[in-house]
Amino acid sequence: MKKKFLALAMATTLVAGCLTGCGKDEKKNDSSSSSGTTGSNSGVNQEAVDNLISATEGTVSLTVWASEEDQDFTQGLIDDFKKEYPDITFDIKLGACSEADAKDTVLTDIEAAADVFTFADDQMNELVNAGALQEVVSTYTYDVKAETLAGAVEAASMDGKLYAYPMTADNGYFLYYDKSVFSDSDVETLDKMLEVAGAAGKQVAMEVSGAWYNYSFFKGAGYDVTLNDDGVTNSCTWNADGATDVAQAIIDIGKSSAFVNANDADIVTGVTEGKIAAAVSGTWNADTIKAAWGDNYAATKLPTYTVAGKQVQMASFSGYKLIGVNSHSKNVGWAMILAEFLTNEENQVARFNARSLGPANANAAASSDVQSNPAIAALAKQADYAVPQRVGGNYWEPANTLGLTLISGNPDGTDLQTLLDNAVEGITAPVQ
Amino acid sequence: MKEEKKNPFKAMGRGFANFFKGIGRYFADFGKAVVKGDAGVKCSLLFMGAGYTFKGQWLKGIFVTLIEIAFIIMCIFYAAPNLAKFGTLGTVQREAVFDPLTMQQTVNDYDNSFLILLNSIIALFIIVCFILFYIYNIKACYELQKQKEFGQHIETNKENVKSIVGNKFHLTLLSLPTLGIILMNVIPIFVLIAIAFTNYDQNHMPPNKLLDWVGFSNFKKLFTEGMGNYFGYAFKKILGWTLTWAVLATLTTFIGGILLAMLINKKTTKLPKMWRSLFIVAIAVPQFVTLLLVRNFFGDQGIVNTICSNIGFTDWLKSIGLVSSHLNYIPFLTDPHWAKFMIVIINIWVGIPYQMLIATGVLMNIPTDQLESARIDGASKWKIFWKITMPYVLFIQGPALITDFVKNINNFNVIYLLTQDVYITPDQALANANAKEVDLLVTWLFRLTNEYYNYKMASVIGIIVFIICAVFTIISFSKLIAGDREEEYQ
Repeated sequence: MKKKFLALAMATTLVAGCLTGCGKDEKKNDSSSSSGTTGSNSGVNQEAVDNLISATEGTVSLTVWASEEDQDFTQGLIDDFKKEYPDITFDIKLGACSEADAKDTVLTDIEAAADVFTFADDQMNELVNAGALQEVVSTYTYDVKAETLAGAVEAASMDGKLYAYPMTADNGYFLYYDKSVFSDSDVETLDKMLEVAGAAGKQVAMEVSGAWYNYSFFKGAGYDVTLNDDGVTNSCTWNADGATDVAQAIIDIGKSSAFVNANDADIVTGVTEGKIAAAVSGTWNADTIKAAWGDNYAATKLPTYTVAGKQVQMASFSGYKLIGVNSHSKNVGWAMILAEFLTNEENQVARFNARSLGPANANAAASSDVQSNPAIAALAKQADYAVPQRVGGNYWEPANTLGLTLISGNPDGTDLQTLLDNAVEGITAPVQ
Repeated sequence: MKEEKKNPFKAMGRGFANFFKGIGRYFADFGKAVVKGDAGVKCSLLFMGAGYTFKGQWLKGIFVTLIEIAFIIMCIFYAAPNLAKFGTLGTVQREAVFDPLTMQQTVNDYDNSFLILLNSIIALFIIVCFILFYIYNIKACYELQKQKEFGQHIETNKENVKSIVGNKFHLTLLSLPTLGIILMNVIPIFVLIAIAFTNYDQNHMPPNKLLDWVGFSNFKKLFTEGMGNYFGYAFKKILGWTLTWAVLATLTTFIGGILLAMLINKKTTKLPKMWRSLFIVAIAVPQFVTLLLVRNFFGDQGIVNTICSNIGFTDWLKSIGLVSSHLNYIPFLTDPHWAKFMIVIINIWVGIPYQMLIATGVLMNIPTDQLESARIDGASKWKIFWKITMPYVLFIQGPALITDFVKNINNFNVIYLLTQDVYITPDQALANANAKEVDLLVTWLFRLTNEYYNYKMASVIGIIVFIICAVFTIISFSKLIAGDREEEYQ
């Protein structure tokens, strides 16, 4: 409440009426002494769980935040969890908070945030940097590192330390295409796609003015942006030798009348209206696109594009949804066990069956059911060219603008090297 | 007198002089009370209730002494520990150790910089209030002593209690709202001002990290340019657009509202009630719903663009150069110039119904004798509008216009809801400061806090917005609502 109230006070300066900010008591010491026992520090540790059960007195209150669409499913899991530990009285509240902006809500006031919350892995560094996540130093009911896809573990880790429990592995982007327009070989190169689409009077869509997507071109050609050790600022090589070729390539793509720079909402509209026949997007649009294209619905990895005459595979950000435990939780132990429960193999399979969300658990992901889902299979193909999203906050706006300028054909005619230099200056700027 | 009114700054200067003189007198009176006071007054320097008790008002005496005791307890247990750390904003960073075997977390006794800041400001506020109360108390005791010396009646305990719901009832009534305003408005503003002098940003987020005082460096950043600092550049641009927007938005809806009201009020207009209701329906729908829908309508691939391209409007705009040739849509909300234009237009649509309602009321009250005599004298409709209607409406609505102007400076909804997630700035320097061409100071501030946790810069911007709004309000109110304006109108 306190910081929310502050933010409001700032935004409304003159306008009266916001929340009161009464300081609440700080609990300085959350530890209650309990006899230590020996046990293995990785994998299953039933002994520690038994200890926790015997050391727990009274009601265990926990708050869980899951996305709006996941409410019913998560509530079911919570009920199962209560049955799993019948000796403990739980008071588990479920709240709605989108994974996409969990960090905004959590960082507004860490102490008031949920004990267990879901979030997209792009928020990892900010959450870790603000100290909001409890490090997963040990697991109790299943071995997270061993049972989860390597990419997902990497996405849930910072500096080699695991900070969250991978829940789904389907938050990246790939290529949707209409089989009635493109053949399987057409979708291998972007040039061919634009040619075919142009001839068919259709469009190929991608949000090049979005930093999340235009990373694809630069990373594919070997120009990277990475997070520095401070966890906030970036290093970026987008203005290195030869990067202007990438910039020129994007300009050339933008010149094609068959290409459209469209954001998520516009892609949905375009696909529904039948104008767009191929789009770079993610699993969240799978149902809509499938409904529009019917049997012609298909998905695959991103195509290659031409940089200075050579074909270059487009890279991407991989995306995972993770479950984090609040480091300020009053019941850290139970919060961790609940987080494990929500992400164990059985429940990841259940989540795929109920919500079609691609599992991050290696066994669950390998099942034939999951593999036969076109969108998730396409993500798996793209996985070879995907990297976890580790960029600081200053990446987004400058990269958005760079993408917009390039895809609009560099309207001011600025020297490409200068354009890239300016963008990199913004991306790598220290926090001001 | 006349001259003074013409120059608000002179009046302000005089106001300040009087203000300081008043403060001087205030303390002089206090000194006099202490020096000339009898034993009771002097005792109340230490025990605040003594003065009253000596004069028989022991109930009041006990009450005042209780306040004093409460204050001392507050100082020892609340103010002192917080204020002791106020200079550094805390020195012990949070460290937590998790024991994987017992699954318990041990946390050190850390300092929460933000709470220290907040509590210190509250404590300082209480202390200042107490000092004022203390001085008032001594003076009141001295007054009581004088009353006794002159042989006047001294209120008994019973009369004291009665006066709370009797002749001092206004104080009783006002105490709660005042407390509310202090808690909800005054203290947050002080906290906001204090944060502008700290390094509260993404790298320093309490409760896990500590804050530090940084002096005026945040202000310097906002007013200077260069050396990788884009805030100065962005601030100038955004301030310019904020003021342009506020003027445009206020004038267009104001004039539009009057014209619409006049049109509906015209005797020849059929079904005036229906038209009026239709426009009021636009108010009945929550503004943010309308705005989000409109944002989608005017999207690059939105419905309006589809229509425009089908009827060939897009191509026509291209041919006259209003839309650049490489686009196959109209960048309603994605091009800086188009977006600014559309925001003003959409705001007219959203804002006119309100103005129409107000204008309808005002127009109905125009003295008909004036209008009639003008008509008999042969004045044209145009002349009547400019010479009678407009001056009258301006006279009545002048203060409301200023409020509108200030409100538009802070018009968060229209700008944010129409451009968020849609508009991308083509200006790299603005992007580097996390700003956009269409941002108002207040939306920039919001995104700085909400997306970048840059509370320190947001606070500085907040202070600037406050100053701008305050200056505009003071100047225009002193010009517009001077006492004898009514005669001027006639």
